[in-house]
Amino acid sequence: MTCPTCGFYGSVKFEPPGKRTESVINIQQLTKTFGRFTAVDHITLTIHAGEIYGLLGPNGSGKTTTIKMLCGLLRPTSGHASILGKPIHDKPVMQQTGYMPQGTALYLDNTVHENLAFFAGVYGLTKDRFQQQETQMLRFVNLEAWRDSLVSTLSGGMRHRLSLSCALLHEPHVVFLDEPTVGVDPELRVTFWEYFHSLSQKGVTVVITTHYMDEADRCTRVGLLRQGTLIAEGNPQDLKQQMGTTSLEDVYLRLAGRKAA
Amino acid sequence: MKLKRIVAFTRRALLQFRHDRRTLAFILVMPLLMILIFGYTFGGDVSGIKVALVDQDSGIRPTNLPGIPFPQGLFLADNITAFLDTTTLSLQRSNDPTLTRKQVNDGTIWATIIFPENFSENFAWSLSHPGSPIRPQIEVYLDGSNPTIASAVLRTITLAVQKTMRILTSTLNISQTNASLAFEPVYAYGGGDTRFIDYFAPGVISFAIMMVTTMITIILFVNERRTGTLQRLLASPAKESEIVIGYSLAFAVIGLVQSVVVLVAAIVLFNISVVGNIFFALLVVMLIGFGHQGLGILLSAGARNELQAIQFVPLILFPSILLAGLFWPIESIPSYLQPLSYIIPLRYGIDAQRSIMLRGWGLGQVWVDIVVLIVFAMLTITGSILLLKRKG
Repeated sequence: MTCPTCGFYGSVKFEPPGKRTESVINIQQLTKTFGRFTAVDHITLTIHAGEIYGLLGPNGSGKTTTIKMLCGLLRPTSGHASILGKPIHDKPVMQQTGYMPQGTALYLDNTVHENLAFFAGVYGLTKDRFQQQETQMLRFVNLEAWRDSLVSTLSGGMRHRLSLSCALLHEPHVVFLDEPTVGVDPELRVTFWEYFHSLSQKGVTVVITTHYMDEADRCTRVGLLRQGTLIAEGNPQDLKQQMGTTSLEDVYLRLAGRKAA
Repeated sequence: MKLKRIVAFTRRALLQFRHDRRTLAFILVMPLLMILIFGYTFGGDVSGIKVALVDQDSGIRPTNLPGIPFPQGLFLADNITAFLDTTTLSLQRSNDPTLTRKQVNDGTIWATIIFPENFSENFAWSLSHPGSPIRPQIEVYLDGSNPTIASAVLRTITLAVQKTMRILTSTLNISQTNASLAFEPVYAYGGGDTRFIDYFAPGVISFAIMMVTTMITIILFVNERRTGTLQRLLASPAKESEIVIGYSLAFAVIGLVQSVVVLVAAIVLFNISVVGNIFFALLVVMLIGFGHQGLGILLSAGARNELQAIQFVPLILFPSILLAGLFWPIESIPSYLQPLSYIIPLRYGIDAQRSIMLRGWGLGQVWVDIVVLIVFAMLTITGSILLLKRKG
């Protein structure tokens, strides 16, 4: 059904910038219902290699449910999704993906090193590769001095950085970061985004959920979610231009308002 | 399934306990405290138990019964009485068995030991006529309301009888089998020489691994869910079965360490008698651990935080303490409650452990217990793997 005032049909689609062509994640009509509640409603989108794709929306819009389905934590009610050409429930594909859940998601009574060693074991890293990766990761997130500290003694920011490095340790091709910057101070948020861009430059596909609209501006592309449906998708600049606004927040509010009307 | 990945789970869990000293203390100190508290309150040496001795034994004079090997005659009751430990028993002599029985009934004394008139005669008769129904009988009439005292009385008598027998068999050159056969009825009263602590220690070993495994698994998995580490694992190439088995191995290690500590403490402090194969006992510990780890994972799905997890404690604790035969035999609980004990897996663990440690039985003789424990472990472990697959 076409909207009478603007002529848009359902979800708005914008073309991605030309250079990102190799599709890594394909989502077709993905739907998840919990009883009578539809958390994710027929989402279709494609994410390309090296993109930082932001899933945007308020709490309860279906961001986390979408990410959990992509990580294989929830079974879709209907629809289909694939990562690197393999269905999302395929265990081997999980070797290629990394996931940083909401919250700390670390073993507080183990040291930084033990947490990293554990996830290295889970992902089957060899001893040599782990040693190499651990040094690199600890330097990357600036936790070298804390290697043998218990996680319970670390500050919130440090735990966040460790959590990220646990998700990246096995050098995944795709990383899913569920609200990685919630409760993170502004300085660390800047650092995190530097991490994400450096990953993207290496060709890693980053899928991130956030409800900070200013962060969304730093994504290659964003998908705006509202009540489980994708109401708009595209490059942040294009979206703003299209809607004639200066901020993504306005884009969201206009689209959401129009849908509600 | 990859062994390396399973070991990663085991390693991490064990390292966690190394850092978490308080939990480690709980694992090791809880069973020790139980052994100490119950060992000293129930199992400690009792002394000065008032017992009346009625010796009516007329003995055997060499002239009376020629042909039997007692050239100097035999006053068997005197021999046994001489060996009765007078620290444990405070003996008073009496001639009237009716009176002493009444004293036991009245509660003024704990027991009366009555040697009948033909006691020595019957002993000699049973030696020369193997298979004859006539046996020497010591009548022990005792107040069983306090099992510790009752068993102390019986143990003292049994020891005295054993000492007497040993001397008789060596000096008179009677064959051991004939002599011991002659004394068989003594044991019919006694129920053996087990102290409470002997009975209790194998139970505590089974109980401790059950409590520790169930409680710690519930809390570990509540935390895994709450912090999000479980989500991380389920989004990794690790299989649910690898997670569960990895933890199982960690609890197997914990169970072994715990059991060894309890065993050593029980042997050093209370000199408990372990006649069975320790490796069989440790195998039973592991089976109990596996089953209850699965149970812990299943229960953890019903708790959202540690506080709710703690609420499972009485639910698990009381049936195990009261109905699984930890403190007293299942036969001694009310008959209408006895069928309930069959659904408590710990019952089989304790039963197997006692038979192995106290009776020296092999696995073949406790196979029913072992099969029940294996089935229980397979059910809960399969259940917990399915649970993790379904809802994480």
